[in-house]
Amino acid sequence: MNETAPGAVAPAVGRAAPIRRATLLLAGVAALAVCAALSLAAGSRPVPLATVWHALAGDDAGRDGLVVTGLRVPRTVIGLVVGAALGVAGAVAQGVTRNPLASPTTLGINAGASFAVVTAIYALGLTRPVEYLWFAFGGAALATVAVLALARHAGELDPVRLALGGTVLAAVLSAWTSAVMLASHRTLDEARFWLAGSLAGRQTDILLPVLAPLLAGLVLALAITPALNALALGDETAQALGVPVARVRAAGGLAVVLLAASSVAVAGPLSFVALAAPHLVRKLLGADHRWLVPGCLVAGPLLLLGSDIAGRVVLAPTEIEVGIVTAFLGAPMLALLARKATR
Amino acid sequence: MSDLMGERTGERTGERMQGANGTGPRPAARRSPAPAPARAFLPHRPGAGGSALARQRRRIALLSAAAVLLLAVLLALGLSAGEVHVPPLDALQALVGLGDSADVMLVQELRAPRAVAAIVAGAGLAVAGTLMQRVLRNPLASPDVIGVTGGASLGAVAILATGAPAVLTPAGALGGGMLAALLLAVLSWRGGVTVTRIVLVGLAVQQGLAAVVNLFIVRFPAELAADALQWTTGSVYGRTWTETGTGGALVLSGVVLALAGHRRLAVLDLGDESAGGLGIAPNAARLQLLLLAVLLASVAAALTGPVGFVALAVPHIVRFLAGPPTAGSLVLTALGGAVLLLASDLAVLHLLPVHGLPVGVVTATLGAPWLLVLMLRQLKPTAGSTTR
Repeated sequence: MNETAPGAVAPAVGRAAPIRRATLLLAGVAALAVCAALSLAAGSRPVPLATVWHALAGDDAGRDGLVVTGLRVPRTVIGLVVGAALGVAGAVAQGVTRNPLASPTTLGINAGASFAVVTAIYALGLTRPVEYLWFAFGGAALATVAVLALARHAGELDPVRLALGGTVLAAVLSAWTSAVMLASHRTLDEARFWLAGSLAGRQTDILLPVLAPLLAGLVLALAITPALNALALGDETAQALGVPVARVRAAGGLAVVLLAASSVAVAGPLSFVALAAPHLVRKLLGADHRWLVPGCLVAGPLLLLGSDIAGRVVLAPTEIEVGIVTAFLGAPMLALLARKATR
Repeated sequence: MSDLMGERTGERTGERMQGANGTGPRPAARRSPAPAPARAFLPHRPGAGGSALARQRRRIALLSAAAVLLLAVLLALGLSAGEVHVPPLDALQALVGLGDSADVMLVQELRAPRAVAAIVAGAGLAVAGTLMQRVLRNPLASPDVIGVTGGASLGAVAILATGAPAVLTPAGALGGGMLAALLLAVLSWRGGVTVTRIVLVGLAVQQGLAAVVNLFIVRFPAELAADALQWTTGSVYGRTWTETGTGGALVLSGVVLALAGHRRLAVLDLGDESAGGLGIAPNAARLQLLLLAVLLASVAAALTGPVGFVALAVPHIVRFLAGPPTAGSLVLTALGGAVLLLASDLAVLHLLPVHGLPVGVVTATLGAPWLLVLMLRQLKPTAGSTTR
């Protein structure tokens, strides 16, 4: 796939020089590093950056050091991984469906995971995020498969059906989730914190089980980026260019499932990051998926860590769960997108 | 410049959404001077459509009668069933104050307010939904989707949070619904309103409000969180006559106003140019009708919380059974909403093994598959002519 092929995309991408894009990408990485450092330092117990450095270097930094290595490092690492997964999942979802408002949330992924987790808490008496992991993953995957099956029409993935199926399934699943929570106060009390979506209270070992699906999803997403460019031109054009449209869609759907299900399993349902990251990157780097997907790898964690820091600082000394911050930030962003998308 | 793709795709989505719309032909067809395959169900068209129109009228009358009958049966059942069984006929008598005084007390004070609240809210939601779907020409538009009932939830939950007496909760819901509508209007106004924009901005408003409600639920003590969750799922539990009476009067006047405005609704269906030609300012008419829909939905949500899918599904079911919209089908829609919500509440009370389930769970479970089937039907390219 060379510069010539994505004809309709090219004007939008512009002739933005690769050097400019690479510079922007590097700037993004630098911003992410700053953000990660802030994430280690900020919180209800602010820690000076120098102490953070000492703690990371392994020196004895007292109680502050323990806060940094025991709580904030895991939190930040999880934020980086989950943010990256969400960003890429959003870019692929929007590319595959050719719908700028597509995201794991629209595909019913969060609703599926939430219902599965709440049911598991109710039926099996689970109490820790580590134990929720596979239920969240399974629920997310099942919901996505259901939505994709609903959206398949004559062998093609119909964007309108996708939006409808996702919206309807999410509404029903969230009603059922409320029902289960209302049936037992213990479940309600246990589940509501997970349902808000948070990076806190987890250790990095929670990432180990999802590492394989995460990497597989990432590789798959990067592999289909050229084909996604062709897909942006419409199914027929893509077909004419020799792109196996159905297979690319299937691969894209699988990548979205793997990435989004892993992230919801680790951090709970988070909205907005997957939706916003691709839009942000498209603005800076253009619509070429070969830049968009790596860009989202940086923008996703940037948004997620930024929201997490905001949630820790705004109502200090109490914290707002990052999922609530992202949903709240996401609303005006979504409204803005909607204003722009319609004349 | 780099955003062009997003915009293009957005436009495409917009077109698709309108194309998927069941409330009218595609915009292009609407603009053409002679509305395409003139199957005109528009009430004022003389000539060929006459007999079809009469047939449809009969059909709607028949369906409405059936709905009224069903409503009476459900009401009798609802008033009679429970821990103390009262025979259905006695229960209906007790409703108007005749018969055993214990029965009268039980029926009038405990069972009737709940059943009537379900009827009122069902009617209000369904009519609000049908108004929105027609004015916005989008089958997905409904007070649930565009944030009005989400605002009502937030208002109610905020009142719960302040610890104010429970009587004030419906007032909070009403205020929240209106606030959400105002937010929606401000955010989607851009030198005019377009349908797709309202729906998409509404989704955003809904999401933002839901986030705040979620924050409350996470922060509340467990007891209060359960209350809030019950409210946000939609429930008719523990309604009193004061609330039900006020709500009922408001919803009734709303339905009457909707009937009075039906001519404008029908003209709007023809498209903006035609509407202007017929002496109706489309934007003003649209705004009035939308405001009415918001009021109806907010009142209903103040009574029961945002019961899902009634507003979204009932208009589709009515259209499926009774054909294209007329003033008569507006009445049928109100009846249909009442039947659906009352039946769902009875199922919650007497059929399902779980106690204290909010009625919204049942309406969502029942409404969703229906809605999916109906919409997928309309998405088929050929369906455009059959659903019109």
